[in-house]
Amino acid sequence: MTKIVVAVKYVPDATADRKFESDDTVDRENVDGLLSELDEYAVEQALQIVEEGEGEVTVLTVGPDDAADAVRKALQMGADAGVHVNDEAIAGSDAIATSLVLAKAIEKLEYDLVMFGMASTDGSMGIVPTLVAERLGLPAVTYGSEITVDGSTVTIRRDGDAASETVTAEGKVVVSVTDQTGEPRYPSFKGIMAAKKKPVDEWSLADLGVDAAQVGLDASGTQVESTAPRPPRTAGEIVTDEGDGGTKLAEFLASKKFI
Amino acid sequence: MTAAFTESEERLALRKAVADLGRKYGQEYFDTAFKEGRKTTELWAEAGKLGYLGVAVPEEYGGGGGEIGDLAAVCEELAAAGCPLLLMVVSPAIVGTIIAQYGTEEQKQRWLPGLADGTSTYAFSITEPDAGSNSHNIVTTGYRTEDGWRLKGTKTYISGVDEADAVLVVARLEDARTGKLKPALFLVPTDAEGFTYNEIDMGITSPEKQFTLFFDDVLVPKDALIGSEDAGLEQLFAGLNPERIMASSFATGTARLALEKATAYAKERQVWKAPIGAHQAVAHPLAQTHIEIEMARLMTQKAAALYAAGDHMAAGEAANMAKYAAGEVVCAAVDRAIQTLGGNGLAHEYGLVQMLAGSRLSRIAPVSREMILNFVAQFSLGLPKSY
Repeated sequence: MTKIVVAVKYVPDATADRKFESDDTVDRENVDGLLSELDEYAVEQALQIVEEGEGEVTVLTVGPDDAADAVRKALQMGADAGVHVNDEAIAGSDAIATSLVLAKAIEKLEYDLVMFGMASTDGSMGIVPTLVAERLGLPAVTYGSEITVDGSTVTIRRDGDAASETVTAEGKVVVSVTDQTGEPRYPSFKGIMAAKKKPVDEWSLADLGVDAAQVGLDASGTQVESTAPRPPRTAGEIVTDEGDGGTKLAEFLASKKFI
Repeated sequence: MTAAFTESEERLALRKAVADLGRKYGQEYFDTAFKEGRKTTELWAEAGKLGYLGVAVPEEYGGGGGEIGDLAAVCEELAAAGCPLLLMVVSPAIVGTIIAQYGTEEQKQRWLPGLADGTSTYAFSITEPDAGSNSHNIVTTGYRTEDGWRLKGTKTYISGVDEADAVLVVARLEDARTGKLKPALFLVPTDAEGFTYNEIDMGITSPEKQFTLFFDDVLVPKDALIGSEDAGLEQLFAGLNPERIMASSFATGTARLALEKATAYAKERQVWKAPIGAHQAVAHPLAQTHIEIEMARLMTQKAAALYAAGDHMAAGEAANMAKYAAGEVVCAAVDRAIQTLGGNGLAHEYGLVQMLAGSRLSRIAPVSREMILNFVAQFSLGLPKSY
């Protein structure tokens, strides 16, 4: 019986036009959001682990009202229960403050394994799994591109540029998985219909015993100084081949230090 | 009342899930399958496995226990993603509904689970060379034999027979060979002796083909007759309202894709100072298309809701109106989208010219625009019958 908590994030749709608020936090109100695609891999791996053995998957998110959509998507995929930590005071929290909220919520749950995606598709820092592990006093095995659970032993394969490492950990452990673990499933029709009957708890900071002064924009250790939209793509240079096309291409590549 | 004008949370979630799956395949997959003479087998199998094809099949036969509106949502979202699956209109919608409503217990257990998970596909054949819109001219006949039935006749413009495990055949019985159609429905395996089919060379970009079928003294067992000999037109019509609702969704999905392509192009394409979408001559036809698509979708959803509520008379009228509106808007959407793209609209790369012939199909089948107007004139307005 493996009890898994998967922490997921509700992020602005990466294919939409993403915007920032006047305080340079991500605009989560006016842009369509969804369950971070990278977190779907963690949900998928968690479901596979409990399907192979026995267990329960609880999906946990911290975010505004709409973040319930991320929980619902994971429930449609097959997770058993959801927890949504929703408190206005959390808005604007950086990774460190967010990790406090997550750790406090995880402490309230029964679990053997905590899983994360490798990073969010909006912040892309990829440090929350380690921060949460530190707060929980647990080992963190991160960036797994393959994960197996055998009793209380968790094994991951961690692919580097030069070599692949196999890392094992015993007992309670925090794991993050990459997008190499295997394509996440689409919710089946039965999964969609079943999701509405699954329990979702909504918790506030008070439920977690977290002081509002410890989180939010003001309490965050990092501050975003400014944001700017990515400059539009400029027209490329067209090389007309007059017998010297190869040379010109080589010159271009050399000028960019590709060759 | 507002609830009636929005779809349920589950229906919307289903749309989203199907749209995600559709995007994984997309128009390029569909067109490549067509070009290479393959079928969309992978998409069909995956959609079946996820329960999307069997949403409307009762749960006790392996389906999702949903409504025709759920199935229509699946069809629409796949079409909007560039994968309009014509056999969805046929296999789960027509054949699935008829078997689920009129089949014997054995027939349901035998035929529905495969249909629900997509591992079996059934075609449907009603049209004959001399019986197009006038079903009363159908002459394909089932003769009683000692062990079952012997079928004789010809059908034409029948979709997807080469992909199907069996064909549901609308025939007459020998003792009712003339006069008003009293249909008897036979499910004939496609490998039955005496059954042959020829592909009709169509100008439609689709991996799903059209066929002329020949039943040359095809022998089938007693239980090939679906339901009862006496259920008559009622049994046939049970499948035709779902067909119209599905055909509407097939069309509105395609219309959405054409509009999406045109809109994206109009925002980007710049010839003089502003993107061409800034010009009202370009913007207004697209806005008009959007309105017409939404109206057709709303009427389709109304038809599906009435059908689910069991009001078949009202559902019939609404399904006809929805099919009319959807057929018109998909023709307009593809036409206006091509005009928006200019020459690019006719280049395969932009994905619109492939939709051209298919969009006209929606105006013709499964019931022509003219026959719908006849129906509305006669039954909705009480005007004299013209034919």
